Amino acid sequence: MTRRSYLIKRVLQAIFSLWIIATILFFLFRMGLPDPTAALVTEGLNAEQRAAIRAQFGLEEPLWRQYVLFLGNAVQGEFGTSFSYRAPVSEIVWERLANTMVLMLAAIVLAYAIGVPLGAWLSWRRGSRTDTVGIFFGLMFRSAPMFWTGMIAILIFGVGLSILPTSGMRTLPYDADGWWDKILTLDFLWHAALPVLIVALYYLGSPLLIMRNTMLEVYGEDFIEMARAKGLPERDILYKHAARNALLPVVTQLAVTIGLAAGGQVVVEVVFSWPGLGREILNAVRTSDFPLAQASFLIMAAFVIFLNLLVDILYTTLDPRVSFR
Amino acid sequence: MTLPPVLRAAAGPLRIMMQDRLAVIGMCVLGVIIAMALFAPLLSTHDPRHINEIEDGSVLQRGAEGWELQESLGPLALNDADHRGDVAIIVGRGGMGWAREGAGDWAPLDLPTEADLHAVALSPAGRALAVGEDGVILLRTGADWAQIDAPEPARLRGAVWLDDASALIVGTREEIWLLEVDSGAITAIDSPVGRGFPLQSVALDVDGTALIVGERGLAVRYDPEGGSATLERLGSSRDLNHIHIDEGGAALVVGERGTLLRREGADTGWSVDQAPDTRALRAGWIGDDGRAIAAGRNGLIMEWDGAAWQIIPTESERHLRALLVVGDEMLALGSDRFVSRLLPPSREHWFGTDHLGRDLFSQNVHGSQIALLVGFLGATLVVLIGTNVGLIAGYYRGRTETVLMRTVDVMYGIPFEPFALILVLLFQPSLTIVILAVSLLTWRTVARLIRSQVLSLRERPFVKAARVAGASDLRIMYLHIFPNVLPLVFLELAIIVGVSIIAEATLSFLGLGPPQAISWGGILHDARLSGAWRTAWWWNLPPGILIMTTVLSVFFISRSLEVVANPRLRARQ
Repeated sequence: MTRRSYLIKRVLQAIFSLWIIATILFFLFRMGLPDPTAALVTEGLNAEQRAAIRAQFGLEEPLWRQYVLFLGNAVQGEFGTSFSYRAPVSEIVWERLANTMVLMLAAIVLAYAIGVPLGAWLSWRRGSRTDTVGIFFGLMFRSAPMFWTGMIAILIFGVGLSILPTSGMRTLPYDADGWWDKILTLDFLWHAALPVLIVALYYLGSPLLIMRNTMLEVYGEDFIEMARAKGLPERDILYKHAARNALLPVVTQLAVTIGLAAGGQVVVEVVFSWPGLGREILNAVRTSDFPLAQASFLIMAAFVIFLNLLVDILYTTLDPRVSFR
Repeated sequence: MTLPPVLRAAAGPLRIMMQDRLAVIGMCVLGVIIAMALFAPLLSTHDPRHINEIEDGSVLQRGAEGWELQESLGPLALNDADHRGDVAIIVGRGGMGWAREGAGDWAPLDLPTEADLHAVALSPAGRALAVGEDGVILLRTGADWAQIDAPEPARLRGAVWLDDASALIVGTREEIWLLEVDSGAITAIDSPVGRGFPLQSVALDVDGTALIVGERGLAVRYDPEGGSATLERLGSSRDLNHIHIDEGGAALVVGERGTLLRREGADTGWSVDQAPDTRALRAGWIGDDGRAIAAGRNGLIMEWDGAAWQIIPTESERHLRALLVVGDEMLALGSDRFVSRLLPPSREHWFGTDHLGRDLFSQNVHGSQIALLVGFLGATLVVLIGTNVGLIAGYYRGRTETVLMRTVDVMYGIPFEPFALILVLLFQPSLTIVILAVSLLTWRTVARLIRSQVLSLRERPFVKAARVAGASDLRIMYLHIFPNVLPLVFLELAIIVGVSIIAEATLSFLGLGPPQAISWGGILHDARLSGAWRTAWWWNLPPGILIMTTVLSVFFISRSLEVVANPRLRARQ
C-alpha cells in the first residue's frame, strides 16, 4: 500500500469514527433528554419562546429529520446558542478547548521530559533501593486520584505556604487581547504551575516504567555487549546506545497519551477552576445546557480523533519499520 | 502430595507472584481492604450516616473579636451560674457544680445529688441555694451542702434569695415555694393563675419583690410584705425563659423565638426589642451601665449596642443556657447536646467528624464497599467484553475482525471522563449507571491486547492440530486458545480494577456517584462542597490515602502478573 492511499484510508476512517460518535451522541441525548427545553422553564421562558427554540433545533420534526438537521449543522460548525451563556456555542467551545490543550500538553511534555531519563537511570540502577523507590513513587502517583493530589497541593502550596495561586488561569481582573496574549505572560505560568504539576505527576508513571522495562530488554542485546567490549564509558552506553533504542515503546505510549489529551482531566480543571472544555461539559450538563454539552463533547471527540490521526501519520514517518497497514 | 490439575496449574504462577515482594505486600493490603469492606458494619465505630451529638460543660468568654471557646468544665451541660462578691458558682446537669473564688480556677463541687440542677443563687451573706429536678433543693451554709426535703418531687427551675433568711423557688407546675432557711420550712404560695403553667426563672427586683417569668408570657410578682403573688403584664405572650434584674433596676427577660423584653430602670416600663435572630434565647444579662447580653441555642449571642441588638460572632455552635458577668469578665455557659461538627480526630471519633457531625472513620470504612464493588464488578464486565471481542476478532479474522476492530477504533475517539459524565447526567446517577459508565469504554484496551495475542496463537501447531482433529470453532477458541491468554486476562483485570476504582471515585467526587451511597470520592466531594476542607485535614487525607493504597496494591499485584504473562521479564530477574 502506498503512503498516499494509506493517508486517504486513515482520513476516511477518522471521518467514519466521527460520524458514528455523532450518531451515538445524538441518540443518547434524545433518549436521556426527550425535551431539552424543559430546563428553560426555570429560566422564565414562556411557552412561545420555548416553541421558538424547539423550532430552531427542529425538535417538532420527526426523529430522522432532526438527525439530518443535527448532522448538517455539525458539519457547518453551527451548534446553536448556549442556554446559559446566551452566546453562540462554537465561540465558547474553541477557547475552552485551547485552554484544556495548553494544560494537557504542558503536563505531558513535562512528564515525558522527566520520566524518560529517570526511567533510563532506574534501569541502570536495577535491583537497587533507588530502583524500588522510583517504581514505588511512579506507581503511587498513578494510583492517587488527581482531584485528591490536587486538593493536597492546594493545601500545601496555596493555603499553607501561599506561594502559588490555586485557581483560574490569570489573576483577576486582567485584559488580554486574544488568547495568545492571555497565555504568553508570567502570570499565566504562575497559575499553570500547580495544575500542570499535578497532571504531570500522574502521567509520569508510564514513561518511567515503560522506559525502565524496555531498557532492561535492550541491555541483553548484542550491540550493548559490543559497546562494552569497545570500552565505552557506562554513561555513554546508557544514554547513547541503549536509551535511543529503547525509545520506541515510549514514543508509542506518548502518541496514545497525546491522542487522548483533548479529553482532558475534568477533575483537575474542576479542582483548579481551570476554564477548560471538560469543566464546561460538567457545568453544561449540570445546568441542562444541552446545546453546549452536545457541542463540547462532539468537538472534544473530533479533536481526539484528529490528534490520533496526526500522531499515527507522524509515527509512520518517524519509524519506517511500521508498515502502512 | 497430588493436587487437582487446576490447582497444580495455578501453583506455578502463584509461586512466581510470591517471589515478588511488592506483590506480596499488595496482596496483603488488598486482603485487608477486602476484609474492611466485608466487615464494615462490625468495624465502624458509629453509624456513618448518624449525626453525632455530644454534651459538654462549655464555657465561652467574650474576647476582643467575639466569644471565644474556653476549656470545658466537665462532660455535662452547665445550666445556671450566679456570683456575689468574689464567689461564683455554676451548676449543671447530673448534680454537677463548680465554684471559684476571686480569679482562681473553677473547682468541682461535691454535691449530694445526681439530679440535674437548673438554678443557683447566692445570698448576700454567702449562702448558696441550688435547685433542680425531682424537687432537689441544696443549701450551702459555710462549706457544707445539705439537701432540704421538698414537699413534692417538682421540677424546679429558678431560685432567688429574698434576704439572707428566705428564698423563693419556682417550678414547672407553677410551684412558687417560699423557703425559710433557718427552720427549713417550705411554704407554697398560691399563684394568681393556678393552671399549672411552667415557671422558668425568678429575679429580685429593686423594691424587694421577686419577679417570676414563665411560659406564654406569664409574669408573676411576689411581694414578701404581703406574702401574696399578683399577675403582671410584660407585653409578650411568648414563652419566657430567663429574667435578670440588675441592682440599679435595669431588667431583661428573654424567651423563645428571639423574645427580648427590656426595662431600662426601676421606674420605666417594659419595651419589646427587635431581635436580629428568631432562635430561642435561654439566658439574658443586663447591667446598669447599659450593657446587655442575650444567649441562646446554636451559639447564638446577641449584645445591645445602645440602639439595637447585634449578633456577635461565637466560636462554637453550642447551646448556651447561662451568662455570668463578673466585672469585665463575661462568660456564656452551656451546652446540652449539640452536633459535633468538624471535630479533629479524638478517641471518640478516630478520623474526626464532618460538617454534619458524622463519624468520618465509619464513613471511610463503609466507603471501601462501593469502591471494591464498582472496581471488581466493573473490571469483570470490562474483561468479559474485551476478552470475548478480542478472541472473536482475532480468531475469525476477515469481516468480523474488521467490524469489531473498527468499533474499538471508534471508541478510542471517545474521551472517557466526559463520556461518563454525560452518561451519568443523562440517565440519573445510580450504581448500575456508574458501573456502566466506568466499563463501557474501558474494554477497548483489553480487546486490542487480547486480539493481538490471539492472532499469533491461532497460527500455532496446537491450534492447527485441534482443527484437524475436528474441534469446533468455539471449542478451539475457549478450550485451546483462551487458557493461553488467561495470564494476560488476569493482568488486565488487575489493572482495570485499579482504573475502575479511580473512575468511581472521580464520578463520586464530581457529585455523580451512586446516590445515598457512602464512597471515598463522595467524602471528598462533601469536603470540597462544604468549604471546610482547607482547614479540616482529617476530612481530606484518609479517603485519598485509602484510594491510593487500594489502587497501589492492585498495581503491585498486576506487576507480578505481568511477569507471569510475559516470560521474557522472568528471565531477567
